[in-house]
Amino acid sequence: MLAADLDLLQGTLDLLILKTLTWGPKHGYAVASWIRQTTDDRLQIEEGALYTALHRMEKRGWLESEWGLSENNRRAKYYQLTTQGRKQLRAKAAVWTEYAGAVFKVLKTT
Amino acid sequence: MSRIPGLRRLMRIVRNDTGVARAVDDELHFHLEMTMRELIDAGMSPDDARREAGRRFGDVQRTRERLTDLDRALLGQERRVERWNAFVQDLRYAVRGIRQKPGFAAAVVVTLGLGIGANAAMFRIVDRLLFRPPAYLASPNLAGRIYFEQTFRDKRAANTYTGYRRYLDLRENTTSFDAMAPFTVNSLAVGEGTDTHEMNLGVTGADFWKLFDVRPVRGRFFTAQEDRPPYGAHVVVLSYAFWQTRFGGRDPLGQQLHIGPAKYTIIGVAPERFTGFSSAPVIGFIPMTAQMGDANPDLKHPWYDTYYMSWFEIFARRNSTVTLAAANADLTRAQQLSFKKQATISKNLSSFDIARPSAFIGPVLLNRGPNEGKEAKVATWLLGVAGIVLLIACANVANLLLARALKRRREIAVRVALGISRWRLFAQLLTESLLLAALAAVAALAIAQWGGDAMRRVLLDETAPGPTAFADSRILIVVAALAVLTGVFCGLAPVLQATREDVASALKAGSREGTVHRSRLRAGLLVAQAALSVLLLVGAGLFLRSLANANGVRLGYDADRLLWVDLNARGTKLDSAQQREIRQSLLERAARLPGVEGAARVVSVPFWMTWEEDLRVAGIDSVSKLGDFTLQAVTPGYFSTSGTRILRGRGITEEDHAGAPHVMVVDESMAAKLWPNQSALGKCVRLNADTAPCNTVVGVAEDIRGSDIGKRDMHYYLSIAQFHPETGGLFVRTSAPAADHAEAIRRGLQPLMPGASYVTVTPLSQVIAGETRSWKIGATMFAVFGVLALVIAAIGLYSVIAYNVAQRTHEMGVRVALGAQARNVVGLVVREGLVIVLPGVALGAAIALVASHWLQPLLFQTSAKDPPTMVGVAVTLILVAVLASWIPALRAARVDPSVALRAD
Repeated sequence: MLAADLDLLQGTLDLLILKTLTWGPKHGYAVASWIRQTTDDRLQIEEGALYTALHRMEKRGWLESEWGLSENNRRAKYYQLTTQGRKQLRAKAAVWTEYAGAVFKVLKTT
Repeated sequence: MSRIPGLRRLMRIVRNDTGVARAVDDELHFHLEMTMRELIDAGMSPDDARREAGRRFGDVQRTRERLTDLDRALLGQERRVERWNAFVQDLRYAVRGIRQKPGFAAAVVVTLGLGIGANAAMFRIVDRLLFRPPAYLASPNLAGRIYFEQTFRDKRAANTYTGYRRYLDLRENTTSFDAMAPFTVNSLAVGEGTDTHEMNLGVTGADFWKLFDVRPVRGRFFTAQEDRPPYGAHVVVLSYAFWQTRFGGRDPLGQQLHIGPAKYTIIGVAPERFTGFSSAPVIGFIPMTAQMGDANPDLKHPWYDTYYMSWFEIFARRNSTVTLAAANADLTRAQQLSFKKQATISKNLSSFDIARPSAFIGPVLLNRGPNEGKEAKVATWLLGVAGIVLLIACANVANLLLARALKRRREIAVRVALGISRWRLFAQLLTESLLLAALAAVAALAIAQWGGDAMRRVLLDETAPGPTAFADSRILIVVAALAVLTGVFCGLAPVLQATREDVASALKAGSREGTVHRSRLRAGLLVAQAALSVLLLVGAGLFLRSLANANGVRLGYDADRLLWVDLNARGTKLDSAQQREIRQSLLERAARLPGVEGAARVVSVPFWMTWEEDLRVAGIDSVSKLGDFTLQAVTPGYFSTSGTRILRGRGITEEDHAGAPHVMVVDESMAAKLWPNQSALGKCVRLNADTAPCNTVVGVAEDIRGSDIGKRDMHYYLSIAQFHPETGGLFVRTSAPAADHAEAIRRGLQPLMPGASYVTVTPLSQVIAGETRSWKIGATMFAVFGVLALVIAAIGLYSVIAYNVAQRTHEMGVRVALGAQARNVVGLVVREGLVIVLPGVALGAAIALVASHWLQPLLFQTSAKDPPTMVGVAVTLILVAVLASWIPALRAARVDPSVALRAD
């Protein structure tokens, strides 16, 4: 199902994470749960890939991280968007919307 | 402070590789635990929950590795950024510091710039003389100049000059060399008609090109076929510069160039800066066989088969498979064979066992070999002096920086208290001194460029500009290394001082508190500087006086107004009648040229060429035992032309024609030597034989200097019509400095010259300049370094006094408040400057007196203990000291007591 095709859409995962973080700093588990809940469990993301994406984007300077306390008072690593990350999000979202619109248009022609 | 709002920051994660791995573990552990808890809350058994969490995650181990790698890379990235930011911050801090105190920065930059610049300029010369191999030389480690050694009169001496037969012998009988070529620089007439000039050419063999890693920029080089005795091909390879100036870079190939008596075909152009083994520029290169063939057309005594003429040196490249020792043994064997061969032809060669000839391949640079020139020694010595000047400059700058660091104690203490690490503080202070050193390096390059050219002109008598210092990698490296070295060295003292500072006490103390920092070391340093300045300035003064004395000597002729015209046949054959006629017509033409006041023919030229004959005088056994008597043969009008005064009797006149009774004019010294206490007039002097006709002395002229500026030697004058009217050249007297007229007169006379023959015109002042050069060098070098040392000492004194005054602002305030007048305060400060300088002056003068013993032989009619010089230098130094303390003194006098007392 969808999970298998997700690898093809490498940039998509980045996009989802960036979007998720627009609502404020989150740790990796929260990002994963948020995506799952928002998509009603329809996008099953491999969590290893999610963490890899988080760290990769941090290295690129799109995210920054800090250790803090979670809701249940546990030590957790929180991620937050940088200015550069927001810029990336805007650009990626625009490209993705355009791309999806085009694909959708093709599919709708019967 | 948290970067993420609303988040309480937790403990710092150790920022190293293990810390990174632990953080990744922690993060993943948290994730998996949260997932399990969620699943258990949803009703799963712990085992199933663990399995499900793992499944959702994927390959934990691989992810962990990937994350660790990513985070380590990130860490490295961050560290680089941090380091860069720290550097930028330090730089900003340093720039701010410099802009706040531009005077301080200028003092440091000027001091260091002068110190480094003087060294760089000297290095340029020493490098040229001792280190830098000729441009384009292939494998400089294998190439060398061949030296011949033999014992002569119990002395073993090395010599580099040799002849063509020897060169052929060595080539034939050695196996250790890839290439071996003769090389010499000849001054040959180049061009035609009025455009004929004597220019330097490299004269060499075909193998010469193999010694260099060089390709022609146009055409080709000459080959072994074109370089064969007895007569090589007339081909020339132009130098790049000559090609550019003479042909404007147009294609010159195939064109003819008149060199010496023959026409040479241009076959190629050498690349820029290529001068072969010549240290001075040459206009081109021709085969030695061609040039020697031109010069020695008579093959009865073939030039290539004789051991007797020595006119060139041999350069060779050792085969890389042969050791130096083996190559030298090979050379020696060949040289001994050659010597034995020579012995079979020559009867008066010293015996083999006494001479014990040998040969070796020595350094290409002559000054590295056993026959090094005086200029290399002088230059190396001067580099040492420059080094001392730099050391003192450096100490001075350390002094300045130290004073500044003391002023900034509180600021630094505040920074330390605020948590700046010692290392960062260290880096900050060092950045500041390095930045100053970098600025000084730029100043130094400018000094090296300008000063280096001037020094080369004085020291090496080279007028051609050297490579620019800004584009010369060797100079750049030296200057950069010196700048870094001095930057670190000068910066070190204040750094150590600052990092050792006790924070609490520095914070508590106001700048008023604590003792006035008057260091004995700093005062001692200033005394040494003053002494050195005195020493160098005394040297400069003595040499300047020598130069002035030498220039002030009455030479007996007006060197500045005289031109010497010399004739060169250049292969044109003339009989003696023609020789006489040409000279007569040149004389007549010269007298009519504009700007000419008079002209006369001569056969000898002071300091340049002399003519002597054996003299016979009645009543004197051997005239030659009384000294050297120099002959001059002249036309009427000589004495008014040269400016030599006739003291008694008359000069040479029109009546002294060939058929008239022979006459002679002698100079005062000669008259006194030959006929002491008698009148010379009417005496008889015969030339070479007692039976020769009598030359009656008709006049006595003033003495002239002809061999040594400091010595009166003896001269006599004949009428050229009664002597050898077919020889000699011309003296031409001009209305303005002769050098200005030289070219116009050459152009005016050249058209009279038949065939390819030509004239050269040389100002006599040029000849005299060569005689006074050593004093000029001494005066210039001592003056340069003396003034340098003085400037540095003045800056040092100023900085110390200014600093002390700043430290004593409070005290000055008290004095002014108690009624001290401005002049009292000024006097107080200036006296302090003098207290430092006076012992320095005394010390310097004492050393100068001790050293006078060694200096005396180098001076001209000047005592090495010359009182005016000593007094002058002492006064100069004291004046400088007063001036250097005057500005801080005025500042001290202007102290407003209410401000000074309220401060801190």
